[in-house]
Amino acid sequence: MTLGREFLKALWQNNAVFRLLLGLCPALAVTTSAENGLGMGLATTFVLVCSNIVVSSLRKVIPAKVRIPSFIVVIASFVTVVQLCMEAYFYDLYKALGIFIPLIVVNCLILGRAEAFASKNRLFPAVVDGVGMGLGFTLALFVLGSVRELFGSGALLGYSVFGPDYQPLLLMILPPGAFIAMGLLLAVMNKLDARHK
Amino acid sequence: MNSMPRLILVLTLITAGAGLILSLVELVTREPIAEQRRLETLRALKAVLPQANNSPDEDTVQLVTGKDKRGRDVQRTFFRGKQDGALSGVAFKVVAPDGYSGNIDIMVGIDPSGTIAGIEILSHAETPGLGDKITLPSFKANFAGKNLGNTDWRVKKDGGEFDQITGATISPRAVVGAVRKGLEFFRDHRDEVLAENQGDKP
Repeated sequence: MTLGREFLKALWQNNAVFRLLLGLCPALAVTTSAENGLGMGLATTFVLVCSNIVVSSLRKVIPAKVRIPSFIVVIASFVTVVQLCMEAYFYDLYKALGIFIPLIVVNCLILGRAEAFASKNRLFPAVVDGVGMGLGFTLALFVLGSVRELFGSGALLGYSVFGPDYQPLLLMILPPGAFIAMGLLLAVMNKLDARHK
Repeated sequence: MNSMPRLILVLTLITAGAGLILSLVELVTREPIAEQRRLETLRALKAVLPQANNSPDEDTVQLVTGKDKRGRDVQRTFFRGKQDGALSGVAFKVVAPDGYSGNIDIMVGIDPSGTIAGIEILSHAETPGLGDKITLPSFKANFAGKNLGNTDWRVKKDGGEFDQITGATISPRAVVGAVRKGLEFFRDHRDEVLAENQGDKP
């Protein structure tokens, strides 16, 4: 098990959203634009890496019976730290993402990695796994957000793509559009995979 | 090995550590956050009170606008803009509770006679790409120069004078309604808002 392979596995083959279907609540709720997806993904990555570090370092200290509450406390603390720091130093980003930040706590991806990987591995692999998983999550949210923004408002990262005459497909930025775009992306991914085999 | 005292001890230590870290971070970020919020209010005040060279956020009047569900007073702060000491405008915050999702907070700036100088959307959770177009300058410009006397305070779709946004009528309707209620409150309490004796700071 090399670290590079572990990283790629976390990033792509076990992609949180497209493969494991974890963390779908923020993935569907936040991705009304590419920028929101990116910000949410990076914030989640930060929390994931931090919680993996702490959980991995404490893996011999935390008794199995209280591991879930311990993990939740660790994760929730980092989320609050992110929220406070963002509000204090990146106010514009906080305004855009503020209401979604607390959602990171309930992202089962983070608890899932703490439970399945960080609590069983040494510090460095846990960091690699956190970075890979987090970037994979960010990538998925960015792609989903781009697709929805492109069709839903005819723009990408706020820049108009189709020109002012484009009639936006409003459905795509409303909640049903999240499910439709997600389903179509999954279908494309499965198709690509099937061809490789 | 996993005896009860050990479980209790470990969990207690972890939560205590988390509490300690959180209190430290809160301590460090408290000042910057308060400053950011103050700057944001000040930015909005600058935008809706063009003719003011005082600090409107320090020249305020608090009035009770009603009671909430538990019977407590709901207060509204009026910020008074002054040009060389003479009152040039008043700004106040209104809340539109009937947007598409969640409350829309709006800062309204008016001249002393009650005509709107400008509005700013402070916060909202309207649908991106649709309802959030209420934050566009072209929509906000609708309001400048309007007062209760010269305008039918409804969106065009309802027979009034305000452009709605293609595909989103609910958000503009909520904003127009909230601003109108704010103007009516100002009209009914004009003397109290403009009274010089309270809230002044040297």
